[in-house]
Amino acid sequence: MSSVKKPETYDAIIIGSGMTGGWAAKELTEKGLKVLVLEAGRPIEPDRDYVEHVPVTEMKFRGMNDRQETLKDQPIQRTCYACDEWASKFFVKDTEHPYTTDPEKPFAWIRGRQVGGKSIMWARQSYRWSDLDFEANAREGIGVDWPIRYADIEPWYNYVEDFAGITGQAEGLPQLPDSHFLPPMEMNCAEIAVKERMMRQFGRDRVMTIGRAAILTQTHNGRAACHYCGPCHRGCITRSYFSSVNATLPIAEKTGRMTLRPHSVVHSLIFDSQTRRVTGVKVIDGQTHKAMEFQGRIIFLCASALESTRILLNSATPEFSTGLANSSGELGKNLMDHIMGGGADGIIPGFLDRVQTGKRPNGIYVPRFRNVSGQEKNFVRGYAYQGQAEREGWERGIHESGFGASFKNSLRKPGPWKMTFHGFGECLPNPANFVEIDKERVDAWGVPVLKIHCEWRDNEKALLHDMMIQAAEMLTTAGAVEIRPYKQNNPPGLTIHEMGTARMGADPKKSVLNPHNQAHDVKNLFMTDGACMASSSCVNPSLTYMALTARACDFAVSQMKKGEL
Amino acid sequence: MERREALRLMGAASVFSVLSSDLFTATLQAQLAANKSGALRTLSPAQNEIVLAMSDVMIPATGTPGAKAAKVNEFVDLILTDWATEEERKIFIEGLAEADRKSNALFGHGYAAATQSEQTAIVQIFDEELATSRNEKLPEQVRAWEVTLLHPFFAQMRRLVLVGYYTSPVGQEQELKVEIIPGELHGCVPAEPEVKQ
Repeated sequence: MSSVKKPETYDAIIIGSGMTGGWAAKELTEKGLKVLVLEAGRPIEPDRDYVEHVPVTEMKFRGMNDRQETLKDQPIQRTCYACDEWASKFFVKDTEHPYTTDPEKPFAWIRGRQVGGKSIMWARQSYRWSDLDFEANAREGIGVDWPIRYADIEPWYNYVEDFAGITGQAEGLPQLPDSHFLPPMEMNCAEIAVKERMMRQFGRDRVMTIGRAAILTQTHNGRAACHYCGPCHRGCITRSYFSSVNATLPIAEKTGRMTLRPHSVVHSLIFDSQTRRVTGVKVIDGQTHKAMEFQGRIIFLCASALESTRILLNSATPEFSTGLANSSGELGKNLMDHIMGGGADGIIPGFLDRVQTGKRPNGIYVPRFRNVSGQEKNFVRGYAYQGQAEREGWERGIHESGFGASFKNSLRKPGPWKMTFHGFGECLPNPANFVEIDKERVDAWGVPVLKIHCEWRDNEKALLHDMMIQAAEMLTTAGAVEIRPYKQNNPPGLTIHEMGTARMGADPKKSVLNPHNQAHDVKNLFMTDGACMASSSCVNPSLTYMALTARACDFAVSQMKKGEL
Repeated sequence: MERREALRLMGAASVFSVLSSDLFTATLQAQLAANKSGALRTLSPAQNEIVLAMSDVMIPATGTPGAKAAKVNEFVDLILTDWATEEERKIFIEGLAEADRKSNALFGHGYAAATQSEQTAIVQIFDEELATSRNEKLPEQVRAWEVTLLHPFFAQMRRLVLVGYYTSPVGQEQELKVEIIPGELHGCVPAEPEVKQ
């Protein structure tokens, strides 16, 4: 009798099309599944949307950004360095995507809602975790023990690196395992000098290596080598850096088994208390605001750490009254981000007759050296530096005196070599840093928003201070002059490494996800973005999310084949 | 060489396709707003004359065109109109009046009517005053990411003239010879005095 059309059932529904959603789409379609990818934002067409080669002369505000417009629409997003006049269109309008925080405790939630998500604007730095990281919680009795170790994830690092293409230099350091590298990018004159001088002083204790990045230094899997135009966060028409749009989604598309649906704002998941499974997804069409449903046999949450957790919190049932799959009570807790911005810069004298040609979309890296071979400081864990040497261009003239022909002629030539070390420190899991649903507010699509409670604690503040001091010391060792130590007061979130809130663990009473990123409470629900993290390490996390996603997909499909799912 | 050429063409195509979409409208509007002579929206004709003259003293024509030819004044007007706050705008406009006052006091006529050496002398005074005031107070926060114009007039002027000049077609293509797509990376090579065309 019923004339209602039964909604189509997919083998898998993936929520999110960014870093991890793209990987899930590639892996699951290649394994034969019929997949629906739901993306909240608009489609991205590289030919139309990428703007990396648009010269500054074409920009209305010549790179000074549309200040009045962004103050109105993107007051939070505009604090991110990558939200510039070209790329601001890849960041959400804060007016449409509100969230709340405690007074005086800001959290900068930087978001990209479009096909590709933040994988379009990410900084592409790619580092493996080590057992120093995976064992840290157990060793110090903080949070819960990771249910996996390096040996569990190592084959999956290999797997995703071989596909994505990671440039870097092997160093053989136990705290920062080497990847399967494409050839490294070259250091410049001042960096080579700093590296050698540091080696003389610190030996193997503090190594400076070239940055490890998901950027191709040679043709790789049908994608072209980098052409060194510089601003990757504005797109890459040659697909030379890794993003889901550039790399994973095209593979999924080619299988013919992926349906990608943009403008699909996920409201919540549908849970069947009889079968103990999620059966589908409630979606609000981003353009028409119409409610609809999609059904799937398994569901992968890949919407970004906080969006995925928000979806579960909004999917509460009578049984799971505090959020779906939250029998542990851990959903929303232990929010982390790396503390960023202790550092120093200084001038490296000399090499004035030499230059770097080409804009290298990558810097140098000093792997963690604190508390590596034992607990030796008044803080736990550690930090690493990103940085670079560069010869400043005409911009230095803004802060100098002078004018006229000689001033103009001096600004035509590059300035001295300036070296910067910029620290990124580990953040401890702390249940007092948490998110919940703010019952008072909804976003532009009527979806209840998050209230974020998060602040830096003593250990992070101690790391920030030490990274400033040690950066200045390393510059002194390297023979720098005019050394300027600095300590920024960045809110959590701004490093855009937000993670945690649905941690992985062996014990269902203390964690949301099992060692395979599968919800303890709901077997056909997987969560493979940053939400799963039980600690934060100090290295950039995306490579680990990629590896965990590929690993979880392999597990899910093998379970389906065994009839377990 | 072939690879570089292909990338260059691809770059051009990419720019073209981008310009054919929504950015085109924005760019066109900016150009319409900026390029129409007499379409200045904040600077009065007299104030515009001061900006033109002063910017050309700061970045004069040498082997390449200077600030005047690069239409820095139109960029200044755009920023004052669509970017700056009321407070920043007031500081700038007052600074132009101060240039006239200085010129009248020293030379008996306004800045725009002054000779080139008189105009240079006044810029010299502004430059020295700014250097002194800068030495008095150090920046509170190193690396503040926010660009503002909440600075003394001549600091505003210096930023707007330099940005306006070096990001103009004259600045990018003739003065700096910027290569959008270098094609290759070399970390440490001898600086070439002049690239052969």
